[in-house]
Order: sequence, then C-alpha cells, then structure tokens
Amino acid sequence: MTIEINKLGFAYPEAGFDLKLDHLVLADRLTAFIGQNGAGKSTLLKLLSGLLDLQEGQVTVDGEDLGQYLAQDRIKKVGYTFQDPNDQIFNATVAKEVAWGLKKLGLPEAAIKDQTDQALKAVGLEGSQEKNPYDLSLSEKKLLTIATVLAIDPEIYLFDEPMMSLDYPSRQRVTRIFKQLEARGRQLIVITHDMDWLASQCERVNVMNHGRLIFSGAVSDLFAQPDLVEKIGVLPPRVYSLSQMLGIDPPFLSLEQAEDR
Amino acid sequence: MASRQIALKNLSVQYLGFEDWVLKEITVFAPVGAKIGLVGPSKGGRSTLLNLFAGIIPKIIPAKIKGKVTLGDNDYRDLAPELRKTTGVVLQDSASQLSGLADSVYDELAFALVNRGLDPLTIQDRVAAVASQFDLEDYLEQAPTALSGGQMQRLAIASALALNPQFLLLDDPTSQMDPVGRQHFFSWLKQQKDQTVFIASGEVDDLAEVCDQIWVLEAGRLAASGTPQAVFNQLKDDPLVAKPTSLELAKRLKIKRPDGSYPVTASELKEAAGK
Repeated sequence: MTIEINKLGFAYPEAGFDLKLDHLVLADRLTAFIGQNGAGKSTLLKLLSGLLDLQEGQVTVDGEDLGQYLAQDRIKKVGYTFQDPNDQIFNATVAKEVAWGLKKLGLPEAAIKDQTDQALKAVGLEGSQEKNPYDLSLSEKKLLTIATVLAIDPEIYLFDEPMMSLDYPSRQRVTRIFKQLEARGRQLIVITHDMDWLASQCERVNVMNHGRLIFSGAVSDLFAQPDLVEKIGVLPPRVYSLSQMLGIDPPFLSLEQAEDR
Repeated sequence: MASRQIALKNLSVQYLGFEDWVLKEITVFAPVGAKIGLVGPSKGGRSTLLNLFAGIIPKIIPAKIKGKVTLGDNDYRDLAPELRKTTGVVLQDSASQLSGLADSVYDELAFALVNRGLDPLTIQDRVAAVASQFDLEDYLEQAPTALSGGQMQRLAIASALALNPQFLLLDDPTSQMDPVGRQHFFSWLKQQKDQTVFIASGEVDDLAEVCDQIWVLEAGRLAASGTPQAVFNQLKDDPLVAKPTSLELAKRLKIKRPDGSYPVTASELKEAAGK
C-alpha cells in the first residue's frame, strides 16, 4: 500500500504547536518516525488513524482519500496503539479488552473467542484472559494493547512506542510479530525512541522536529550526520558507537552486520 | 559503616491468596553503599524484592515472608521504621506515586520536605537542587499531571532524592525517558557515592557501566549474582536475559580479555581490542 501525504497542516493553537508536512510517501512495509517529545509524531499517527481530522492538505491510501478509505469498517483498515497503555485500556478483563473491537465488527461469539485467544497467545498473555488489566505490569499492558490490534488484523498498523517498557523476551517476541505482519503484506508505521531497534529493523527513517519533517532517508545516512543526531536529541545505536570506537568503517548498524563480517 | 552488609538468607515471598512463591530461597549479599542492578524478565521477582525493601510488602501488599533480610547485625524488619526515613523509592508506574495533593511540580518536589517540617529556606534550596539535577526547572509551575511519561519519571526520582536518602530503590526508572534523558540519569547515578542503590532495569549496557553487582532473577530464583563482568559472561547464552552490546559485539568479532572472558563495558571492549 502507498500512503501519500500532501500539504498536510494541523495545529493546536493554544499549545503553540503546528504540524506541517509538505510531501511524504510511505510505501515501505515498516516505516519509522523518530524525534523528541512534542515533535508531532503522535499527532501524525492520530491523523492517519482518523482519531484527529486533517485541517489542511490531503492524505491518500493507494490513491483513495483517507476519509473515504476509513469511511467503512474503519477498525479493519487502521489499528492504533497508544504510547501509554493506560490511555487505551478500559475493559474489566484482558479478554474483554481484546474482544471489544471484534464485537464491534459483529463477529460470531465463537470467532471472537478464537481470535481473542490467538492474539493473546501471540503476545504471550495466554492464561491472563480473566485478569483485570489494571493488575498487569506495564510491560504486560503494552502487550495487551498490541494484542487488541492483532486480533482485528487491520491493513495498516500504527504503533506509538511499541517497545517501551517491554522486557527482553517480549521485545524479541514483538519484533518477530512485526516481521510476520510485514511478510503477510500488512503495513506498519512505528514511532520509536529506541535507536538500537530502529537500526536493526528499518532501512529508512523519518525524523520530525518541532512539527516539521527534517530528514527522510536511509538510517545509515542519518547516523553519519552527528550534528543532526544531536539536534534531534537521540543517540546513535550502541553497536554503531562501539564499532566506531573500534575503528570499523562504516560502523555497524546492527549485531547481524557484525556477524556477517 | 562501609563494611556493613545487606544479606538475604533463604528469602521467600508468597502473596496472600496466591499459590506460587514469587521469590524462592534467595541467598545473596552486598555491601552497604553498593549499586546493585536487578536484571531478568518481567514477573521474575525484581519488583517484589524492591517492594519488600521499601516496606510496601507486607505493609500495603500482604504477603508471607520466609527467611531473613539483615542489615549489619540487625533484622531488616526491626530497622524498618528508621530505614523508611532514609529510603527513596521510585515505582515502576511513576504516575501512581504522586502525592495527588500538589498543584505544581514545585509543590510535589517539596511535599515530603514540608511533611518533615524542614524550614522554608532549606526546602527552597533542596527543591532547586533536585529540579536542576533532573532538568525540571522549566516545569516547576506546571501541574504534575501535565507532564510526559519521561518527565514524570524524572519528577519521581527528584522527589525521592529531595530527602537525601541513604537507600535508593528504583524500579525501571528510565523506561519512559528519551535516550538523552536516560543517558543523563545513568551518568548521574554513576557519580553517586555512599548511597546504596537497588535498580531494576532492562538497560543492561548502562547497568554494566554503573553497577557494582548484578543480581539476576528468573521465575523467583536467583539465576546469578556477582560483578557485571562475571554475571553477563556466565549468562552469555541465556535467552531470557539481555546482554550488554559490548559483550554481544565482542562475541561476534571474537574479541576476548586476557582471562578468556568477554568485555561487558565500552572501556573493557576498547582495552580487549587493543585500541
């Protein structure tokens, strides 16, 4: 799928914030956005999900206007997980939280149960069906929000900081899930602060700063510009800095690259 | 003072109403003044251990406790009322530990100090010091609830430090910080001396640089304990535990230290590579 953004404008005047994107095409299976808090990344994801309405410009999905595209069966088209899972979770049990969207789709009970169980199993929360989500750890809450979109399996997945607060085995698990989604032809748009993850998973990256897109290109080109990296308040991937320290040129972006050497 | 030890002897904890023991016969020691990194998967027992040290278990969360925790020659529980005054705690979900009574970040930072009856000038000085330490100066007039996740974590840490605690208990304190915020925090932690710090975190690169000891908890058991060097080398193939990037890179580039172990910090890697 190709998402094309043209002359997009959105402002929160009371907060003195405006987001402007002249032109951007998102055609990769996995697209990443990075940048400091308040850069406009989450606002952009909310606009793409239809949670916020565009004030100016146009977004198209495979040539169709976003509003048209989302007009029918919206939750089958775009799934969105919040940065803070506490902002998203509202049902009394883990199973009900996952089943909520499936019920909206009007699926039969047996299919709802089946898809709920499968999604919870995929994130490693099988056996937690009857727990109150508020009794889960932060890591588990985050996994629960990922399960809610997996259960519906929309065409486009929007993840706001999916790796945040996850423990090591869960990070590996979610990374595997992402690869499976990509292989199945789903489109993933991810906001991340985790440069190690970014560099190991994405070829290209989009950088937002104060409501503007200031870089869109190869991950290796971004980290080759130390001034830009500093300006946007991130750190190079650890493996990049360490291999640079060892005099390896160009520095590794992932441990896999070190393996292939 | 520096030679006193914190000792856990056959420590087991079971939450009331639950069958499983969440900590199982943990025996381990650390000198007072050490920085101890708690590592391992979610539900491994790290938060339980921190909640026990903080007195939240069994006071607020009832639990059955077997075995012993001692500080020097004393049972930890006998010292608890005294220790609580010198212990700073940062919970995993830092928003949940706000006083709920402060209208501004300034008042939140001053909250415990006011409760201790300190004089206004001292309060002002301490608040200014911790606010500057954790980059909160621009937010002092804001409502705590308006902060981002990372700012909230910085506020929780600064509030805990306002009382100059001897013991710091930190449960994943940087999980919501951006990379630069995380780097500032660990640089600050590295400089701290004479404070006993227990920190649960997934940031194993930073823990390897900062901590004197690493304790690894998996399914309630102590899977390993010792220096970062020893522990991460011992667990280098454990799929449940993240390893420092220095070790992972050294493994792939076949760089070892003279004793045959892998480096776990940047400086060890540099030295082992002869750079």
